[in-house]
Amino acid sequence: MPFSRRHLLTTATATVTAGLLLTLSACGSSDDSGKAQGTKASSSSKKSNLIAIITPSPDNPFFKAEGDAAKAKAESMGYKTSVASHDDDPNKQSELIDAAISRHAAAIILDNAGADASIGPVQKATNAGIPVFLIDREINKTGVAKAQIVSNNSQGAQIAAQEFVKAMKEKGNYVELTGLASDTNAGVRSKGFNDVISQYPGLKKVAQQAANWDQQQAFDKMETILQRNPNVQGVIAGNDTMALGALAALKSAKKTGVVVVGFDGSPDAIAKIKAGTMQATALQPAALGAQEAVEQADQFIKTGKTGQPEKQSIDCELVTKANANDFGVFAKK
Amino acid sequence: MTATTTRPSTAARTPILQAVDVTKVYGGTQALKGVSLDIAPGRVMVLFGENGAGKSTLMKILSAVESPTTGHIELDGETVQFGSARDAADRGISIIHQELSLCPNLSIQDNLFLGREQTRRGLVSRTVQREQAKAVLRRLDETLDPDSLVSELRLGQQQLVEIARALLQNARILIMDEPTSALSAPEVEVLFQVIRELTAEGVAVIYISHHLEEALDIADDVAVLRDGSMVATAVADDIDLAWVVRTMVGREQDSLFPAREPTLGTVALETIDLSVADPANPDRLAVDGISLQIRAGETVGIYGLMGSGRTELLECLAGRLPAASGEVHLYGEPLTGSVRQRIQAGVALVPEDRQRDGLVQTMSVGENLSLAALTNFVRRFIVSRAGERSAVESMITNVTVKASGANAPIGSLSGGNQQKVVIGKALMTDPRVLLLDEPSRGVDVAAKADVFEVMAQQAERGLAVLFTTSEAEEALHIPDRLLVLVRGRLVADLPPNEITRDRLMSLADGADTTEEGLQ
Amino acid sequence: MTNTLTTDNASVLQQRRQAAAEARRLKTLNSVFELRAFIALAVLIAVFSLLSDSFLTVDNVITMTKHVAINGVLALGMLLVILKGGIDLSVGSTVGLSGVVAGEALKGLHVSIFGVVAYPPVWAVVVLCLMVGAVIGTINGILITRLNVAPFIATLGMLYVARGAALLISGGTTYPNLGGDPSTHNTGFGWIGADRPLGLPVAIWMMIALAIIVAVLLRSTAFGRWLYATGGNERATELTGVPVKRVKMIVYVISGACAALSGVIIASELTSAAPQAGDSFELNAIAAVVIGGAALSGGRGNVRGTLVGAFVIGFLADGLVILGVSTFWQTFIKGAVIIIAVILDQSQQRFQRRGAAASAVAVATAQPDTELAETRPDHATTSPGASR
Repeated sequence: MPFSRRHLLTTATATVTAGLLLTLSACGSSDDSGKAQGTKASSSSKKSNLIAIITPSPDNPFFKAEGDAAKAKAESMGYKTSVASHDDDPNKQSELIDAAISRHAAAIILDNAGADASIGPVQKATNAGIPVFLIDREINKTGVAKAQIVSNNSQGAQIAAQEFVKAMKEKGNYVELTGLASDTNAGVRSKGFNDVISQYPGLKKVAQQAANWDQQQAFDKMETILQRNPNVQGVIAGNDTMALGALAALKSAKKTGVVVVGFDGSPDAIAKIKAGTMQATALQPAALGAQEAVEQADQFIKTGKTGQPEKQSIDCELVTKANANDFGVFAKK
Repeated sequence: MTATTTRPSTAARTPILQAVDVTKVYGGTQALKGVSLDIAPGRVMVLFGENGAGKSTLMKILSAVESPTTGHIELDGETVQFGSARDAADRGISIIHQELSLCPNLSIQDNLFLGREQTRRGLVSRTVQREQAKAVLRRLDETLDPDSLVSELRLGQQQLVEIARALLQNARILIMDEPTSALSAPEVEVLFQVIRELTAEGVAVIYISHHLEEALDIADDVAVLRDGSMVATAVADDIDLAWVVRTMVGREQDSLFPAREPTLGTVALETIDLSVADPANPDRLAVDGISLQIRAGETVGIYGLMGSGRTELLECLAGRLPAASGEVHLYGEPLTGSVRQRIQAGVALVPEDRQRDGLVQTMSVGENLSLAALTNFVRRFIVSRAGERSAVESMITNVTVKASGANAPIGSLSGGNQQKVVIGKALMTDPRVLLLDEPSRGVDVAAKADVFEVMAQQAERGLAVLFTTSEAEEALHIPDRLLVLVRGRLVADLPPNEITRDRLMSLADGADTTEEGLQ
Repeated sequence: MTNTLTTDNASVLQQRRQAAAEARRLKTLNSVFELRAFIALAVLIAVFSLLSDSFLTVDNVITMTKHVAINGVLALGMLLVILKGGIDLSVGSTVGLSGVVAGEALKGLHVSIFGVVAYPPVWAVVVLCLMVGAVIGTINGILITRLNVAPFIATLGMLYVARGAALLISGGTTYPNLGGDPSTHNTGFGWIGADRPLGLPVAIWMMIALAIIVAVLLRSTAFGRWLYATGGNERATELTGVPVKRVKMIVYVISGACAALSGVIIASELTSAAPQAGDSFELNAIAAVVIGGAALSGGRGNVRGTLVGAFVIGFLADGLVILGVSTFWQTFIKGAVIIIAVILDQSQQRFQRRGAAASAVAVATAQPDTELAETRPDHATTSPGASR
């Protein structure tokens, strides 16, 4: 009796799991058809017209915009697409690349999960004859991917910092909030800020704290920093999420007129810029980079060449109140 | 000191192990006060004493689990200082602890060889271990599979495994602290036979037991501890049970069993053809079609061995085990539901294993006492401290708990006083039927008398009292009516003065299949 | 006592004095350890005040306490679960889910049957969030009490389920501008995060109120006693007739609701709600409870200790920020403080046992009976504790 009950339970679990999986795959219908066709194609020519798009977590609107843009572009050019996220887990990224290889994808568009950890998987795809086009983040090796199209973080940080200096009128106390220290972009952006700001002796950095790209951490740390340094005229943050956290802290401390500058160009930040509470942000043209990558992939599939150098950078654009209306979701309208 | 020091036969042989003027202080408690003891090879030394007299402490010092504060231990005439119990074991001293120290998640074999695994080329050799394990179990008359898990064994079997482990170590000195507390009569007989074989080989055995008669059966020498001092030593042949009890507590055993005339009321609890499945083995009935009646004001004792179904019967009545078939009535009303519902209906159980099932060690005496009846003191969601306190204090007086106060941690009490707390907790719920499973287990002589006194008082107040026991003396003296349970069946129902001790024992062993006093 | 034993009398007196002195010494040590979390907090405050004059200002203490409140509210819920001998790993995710629910509700609930959008008032939004937390707790409770899933596993599962639910509802995006809209009469959400009745932020008042409620619950209700008993010996407590399953169920529900409250506080402070909010908050809450002297095995712990634990963690984090210490060191130091706190707790347990033994002797020898007269003088002088 207890055995049969346990057996029943196992069967029930298996049934429910299978049902769930079926439902989920039905939801992801856009790539389901592609899968079927891809398999059919592979039996004859070993190449499908599938473009696999792999990005970090879609929690972040930036990556979502990037993935959406690549998908739309590829589909408009007649490709089938599959969109998946690796959640910044190199292991999961490797599995997703394996899946793309086994489906004989025509190309992979990848926003990778680590400059070193991603070299192996990219090499693996290249060895399998699948061209890989990197967007947003670089890897620490050249000659493996067909293209590395990244937004110019250094340039973006500099234009943001120049706007910051201008708004601060070249003097006053300011705070810098930096991103996750293990992320290369955190360092690049911080360096870009400081390269510009350090030229102005009137600007004094009274505190620098890592808030790990997180809004609530930025809020708590900013509140605490304000206790030590109530006399702050500016905040420059490594991304918009932290800038918004700092804004909330300033609001809670009833401090107005503080210059806040961020990075990324997220829709929330642009809304604050329009409202006048935030000064500026450096918009990373995520959509542009993704579209560029798809175009080059198409070129490569057809001609075997991209016609571009491997390393390409796309300049960021400064968003201020003056031009805020010209921008949509990580792209110029 | 009042020691009657007569030791002709121990003097005849050179002692193998001696405790010389040993004192042990715990924090500030003097557990031993200058105790000396000689252990002769090839003899069984039985140590008597009430709980807290210092027996277990002395054993721990002899086996190097603890080191003495002052004084020393001599092995073969030379002063020794063991670094650890392992050291002592290597010198030939093994101890069987009162508390079982087995790992329930491991097999019998793994437990037997824990820390001394038999290896061949660096790997544990299961074949060698299995053979040795089988041999030692056979010696104890057990046919257990060495690969079965300890958690699957009955308590008595676990105790045998513990004994087997000590035997495997080829000890010259074997210390047994309450080795028979969970063993059935035939198992005890086998153990005694093994002890005799060991002493014939020259092994010295030190033996502690609350079963005074049983211990006296196996004794060659006896020593009596009282309040940390050695009050008497003697040769077993020269003394009797009365002497032991007198020396331990300073009074005769008869005072343990108060005589009383019950005034019987209506039927309080009745079972009709009640059967309970064995929780460890659902295919078997632990209680097999029992019908019985208990009247208000009556004290009924159930005599039965381990596995006779006495615990299962009581746990079923208390609502912890479901009945397989049959009915239970409380004052004519059907009794059903959970433990909680039955407590509310007026049936309270004092469980057999008070550490595991009876007490919350992290709480005080008072908190343990009031736990079951806490809702009685609640006024608008808040527990009334004053109400709780006065109820707890009067209960402490009622059941004669000896503690420094209601706030004393429960762990600071002796076994007997902890048992009184468990009984007090049950009484706080104001029950109409009180069930007690082995209320005298692991309780010293003086506390036993108190426990029986409380039971008698409650019966006088009109409660129906049903208790179990595995001691014939208690079965013959305490209850107004005696039931004998054998393998889940009721074989006797009679006033205890209508049966002899020998007849009771043979009935309970299942050797005698005639039934007594049953319709 | 016979009058012939004068030398023994003297030794008994001496023994009593020594035992009493030992008991006093251990008692002092014990109370020092008892207060170890307070002492740790005092040391932290002293050190930070020395190193920075902006640490110990009224304003900064209020700000830091406000930060503490988020973890404090979580920790009070966690305390109940840990007292039961359980653990709730799902609270961090519940924080995120609660914020998302608030965001969705303030954005307007689409009632599809009527084709209208409902804008619940702010109080209803808060109640809705607390109910969502309670539902997560209820699921935990059902998994643990009815389906016998181990608390660690059940709440680990719910950690992912709740986080997944938050991401699904929000579509992965952050809800900005939770200020509400005057036209839909649901403004005022930011009040919880920004307003300061009687000079203290609402979050602090919430923590104080919750602390009082939990303290009364634990000290003065039958439920509290049942909870301690369940943590101390679940088996015995159940046999005593206590509704153990109901007790277990309730603690998870309360813990879930506390987590939801914490989520509401965060969302209102930021006037935005991110589905990732509250990531790994469960660990901070557990750390606060443990620093506060609670046993993970259950049955031991209190509100006072837990609050102090939350303050130690919070003041440490903010103090290090004020000093400008790098994040790497902040993480390292936090870990070290947790370990030291638990080591101190173990030593306190040891002292407590020894202290109890010594005072037992002092009491016993204060009323010497005839048995004591048999004590031999040469042993009576043995100093208690010398053997250790």
